[in-house]
Amino acid sequence: MNENEFASKLKPWLERGAAQVGQLQAARLKAARLRAMDAYREPVRLLGLVQLNAGTAQMLHYSILQRALIWVPLIVLIAVLAMRSTAEIDIGELDAQLLTQELPPDAFLDKDFRTWLGKSSG
Amino acid sequence: MARQVERLIAALLLTLGATAASAADADKLKTPQTPWSRLSADEHRILGPLAPEWDRLPGYQQERLRGAARHYPSMQPVQKERFEERVRDWAAMTPEQRRAARETFQGLRKLPPEKQHELRERWLKQHRSPEESSEPRFEGRPPR
Repeated sequence: MNENEFASKLKPWLERGAAQVGQLQAARLKAARLRAMDAYREPVRLLGLVQLNAGTAQMLHYSILQRALIWVPLIVLIAVLAMRSTAEIDIGELDAQLLTQELPPDAFLDKDFRTWLGKSSG
Repeated sequence: MARQVERLIAALLLTLGATAASAADADKLKTPQTPWSRLSADEHRILGPLAPEWDRLPGYQQERLRGAARHYPSMQPVQKERFEERVRDWAAMTPEQRRAARETFQGLRKLPPEKQHELRERWLKQHRSPEESSEPRFEGRPPR
């Protein structure tokens, strides 16, 4: 059996196996393949500053889906934190505190008071 | 091309977030009113100063006042007295005035206790004799 015959017989087995490889395993296999190919490529410069192997530079070029998967959780987290920061303020409790502390509500609309507060906060 | 798609996804998510926030404001206006007759006996007692105008208040304002009234049982006597004195004027303010007052109050609370005390004392000292002041104590209060 020569090399080509062997390859043609092996190919269906490899394709069947490739279909069963998970996302994480596929990423690892790709990384290993690219590292192996590094030895056969000239290094490239990233942003003209850092010298990288060509395989590593290619790894950094994520697919659209992978980039979205990186950004979506971050955006969702920011949105949830923003919503929680407003929702958690119990307006009723805040009003109760405002109405029962030493100063009348008028004070908090007084221009002078707000000016002093601004200066004290700065 | 990939970068453009990323920007589109980010813009879409931010738009969804902004839409959700504006929907929350719209929901505030849809809060149903609670008739005075449906309040509990305790709420009648605590919110008594507001009885004449209660049924004219928007639903969300009624809910906030009921929320404040829930804390009444745990207040000190002097706090209860202040609450009873001030709740009617508070309800008579415009929504923008109440919002501004809350923001200022929250700003005060962020200061160290000694600074808060200093500002409170300063304001009280300035307004101790309102009849001697040529300036009105408060501008823009709606007439009763």
